[in-house]
Amino acid sequence: MTPRGLLPGVRVLDVSQGISGPYCAKILAQMGAEVIKVEPLYGDSARRMGPFPGDVAHSEKSGLFLALNANKYGVTLDLTSTDGAESFRKLAATADVVIENPPPIYLDDLGLGYEMLQELNPGLILTSITPFGRRGPYKDFKATDLTLYHMSGHAHGLLGAVKDPDNDPPIRAGGHQAEFVGGLAAATATMMAIYGKQMTGQGSQINVSSFEAMVTQLISGLANSAWGRPAPPRDLAKVEEAAIGGMVGAIGGILPCNDGYVAISPREDAQWERWLGVMGNPTWSTDDCYSTRDARQKNSPSLWKLLSDWSISYSKHEIARLGQEQRVPCFPVNTVLDLMGDEHLAHREFFVDIEHPEAGTLKYPGAAYKLSNSKLPLAARPAPLLGQHNQEIFKGLNR
Amino acid sequence: MNQLPLQGIRVLDLSWIIAGPTTTRFLASMGAEVIKVGSARRPDPSTRGPAFQAYNQSKRYASLNISKPEGLELVKQLLAISDVVIENFAAGVIERLGLGYDVARAARPDIIMVASSGTGHFGPHTDYVAYGSLLQHYTGWNSISGHPGREPVTGGLWADPWVGMELAMVAVACLNNRALTGEGQYVDFSMAEALSGCLPEAVLDYQMNDRVKEPMGNQDDWYAPHSVYHCSGSDRWVAIAVTNDSEWAALCGLIGRPDLASNSKYATAEGRRKFQDEIGVTITEWTVQHEDVKAMHLLQQAGVPAGPSQDILRVFQEPQLSETGYFNRVQTRDGEERDLPGLPWRFEGAEAPTLTEAPVLGEHNNYVYQDLLGLSPTEVIQMVEEQIIY
Repeated sequence: MTPRGLLPGVRVLDVSQGISGPYCAKILAQMGAEVIKVEPLYGDSARRMGPFPGDVAHSEKSGLFLALNANKYGVTLDLTSTDGAESFRKLAATADVVIENPPPIYLDDLGLGYEMLQELNPGLILTSITPFGRRGPYKDFKATDLTLYHMSGHAHGLLGAVKDPDNDPPIRAGGHQAEFVGGLAAATATMMAIYGKQMTGQGSQINVSSFEAMVTQLISGLANSAWGRPAPPRDLAKVEEAAIGGMVGAIGGILPCNDGYVAISPREDAQWERWLGVMGNPTWSTDDCYSTRDARQKNSPSLWKLLSDWSISYSKHEIARLGQEQRVPCFPVNTVLDLMGDEHLAHREFFVDIEHPEAGTLKYPGAAYKLSNSKLPLAARPAPLLGQHNQEIFKGLNR
Repeated sequence: MNQLPLQGIRVLDLSWIIAGPTTTRFLASMGAEVIKVGSARRPDPSTRGPAFQAYNQSKRYASLNISKPEGLELVKQLLAISDVVIENFAAGVIERLGLGYDVARAARPDIIMVASSGTGHFGPHTDYVAYGSLLQHYTGWNSISGHPGREPVTGGLWADPWVGMELAMVAVACLNNRALTGEGQYVDFSMAEALSGCLPEAVLDYQMNDRVKEPMGNQDDWYAPHSVYHCSGSDRWVAIAVTNDSEWAALCGLIGRPDLASNSKYATAEGRRKFQDEIGVTITEWTVQHEDVKAMHLLQQAGVPAGPSQDILRVFQEPQLSETGYFNRVQTRDGEERDLPGLPWRFEGAEAPTLTEAPVLGEHNNYVYQDLLGLSPTEVIQMVEEQIIY
């Protein structure tokens, strides 16, 4: 039997496409809402994004689509047609939440915006995710994960400081992190609106900006700006000056190993002492240039050279284990290959097997949370085939 | 709806540093009463500097020394009148402090206890000492970012802020369930799993193609051109992402090279990916003539997704933020007017979120101990002297 989750009886219409909106609806689905994905006749754009088996595009085998749309039902509707719009209105009348992420589908322009939907269904929650929200000078600007990552300040921090900023530009993170955080912000706001509806019966119109969601990840930096602090420099030479001024802490880094890298952060004095024990208390450790936290920060380039000379003889898992045994914060720099074989994740049953009629059985990342009194429907059903549930869903509407 | 959605909810905040405080900032802004409890005996490490201001907006802050039995007793009284309690100590610490879920539930049977730690609260590596920056390495998050063949990236503040928002989402989901069933909940949250959940493409690519995803800088598996291009000025760049053939034609027209649009070599995304280095040189010939913001406007007018690569100070000065009500102007206790950060969502036509200045330790002691718990002023003074309220 499918576990009921935390949102039994909540019905969500997901008319969004791509990543941010479907990710928001995916969260609601794995929390137990009944999510009906409404796709155009030509399918969600994510069906055309990879990865694909053998790198051959196939609308039912996109790894991205399969992950974002598991546990949802799927129907197709042409919202620009009279019949399609009518069916959508009937469905919306039965829903608690509608999720959209224009472009390309703008419910407003189709005459299916909040005013109309609220007339049909006064308690409805409409969550709209757009790159920049519905106001301001950029409201009609196009955006992608790349442009959002750069505009929001994240790219400047990701690579860290570099020797030659003019030839070593800022970069984005891999995957689609800006799209995901937009979706998470939308799910968080929608969850609050669902609670508000339970308490008062009233619906909500929510506008989420993926740009603002990215910016909100950096509120500490915004507060620094509000207090007149400069932005952290990207030029390595300037960072060293800044570090002496106490702005940037030499609090950790990565060390080369014989099979990759290990990340360590023995930032507190006690952690540093224990770390030296892991290294067999090398003779240089008592030098004045490394004996205090301030000194280590000031001399971090030569210090990291000494640490690297030691670490290169060991494997990343070996050092991580030795360090953690002495309660030093350190972890191997893992790839997905390491993740799939990680005994801790396996023990916690993080990955979830879902069987799909076209793509087969695959492991999907599950939820980051375990609940004491509820089970979540993490593998209730695979992502829908295009139009898979048309008959079942529309039959109930006397279509 | 008209009122803030979390009105009437009380949250006891035993968390510190970044992730937990971020969660309760969201909850407090949206109507919950958040009571942060801390002690001068072991101050919140983020207390220093403006970051604390950002992470602790809109809360109440009481001081309490839970290493004393009387302090522990007061926490239990606070648990009894709270809907949600949140903590983000290393796994096992809250139980050693005598405040595990069994204790919380005894104080309040339907309490929702949200517990976040680096690797979660059971499993072979549950005791691992973790920081967010290290978890980004452990979870594979950093393995898909960076440049091929170069050292892994070491920057990027992602783990804590992401987890902060996800915890808020889960806490409210549990409130929804409690409203339906009357049941509380213990939430075992793993920061590591939250990060590994952000890489479904790489996880599925590995299974489908037996391929370990390599980082690719600014480039993309599908779209091209897709990178940042040098603009006029030092370390100034505009990000450009061409997602279809018509955007490609528009870009070629804008930069005065319509010939490229009709060159069959570049007609498909696949071709443009293959030749993106030479395309990059041509685009840069145009971008270096413009300031980054100007380049963005020209590209957007032509229908091409683009934006400048900015540092945080330029983000703070963004008209897109200041003109849309993102910031909240607050007079802080030093008498200055400052624009404090806001929320990434707007509930249209509803009451404005609460986004006030962060409190100082002990600021709300009288409210918490006298008004809520019913202690007398004399009792509070005595507990202050005995370093219980401390």
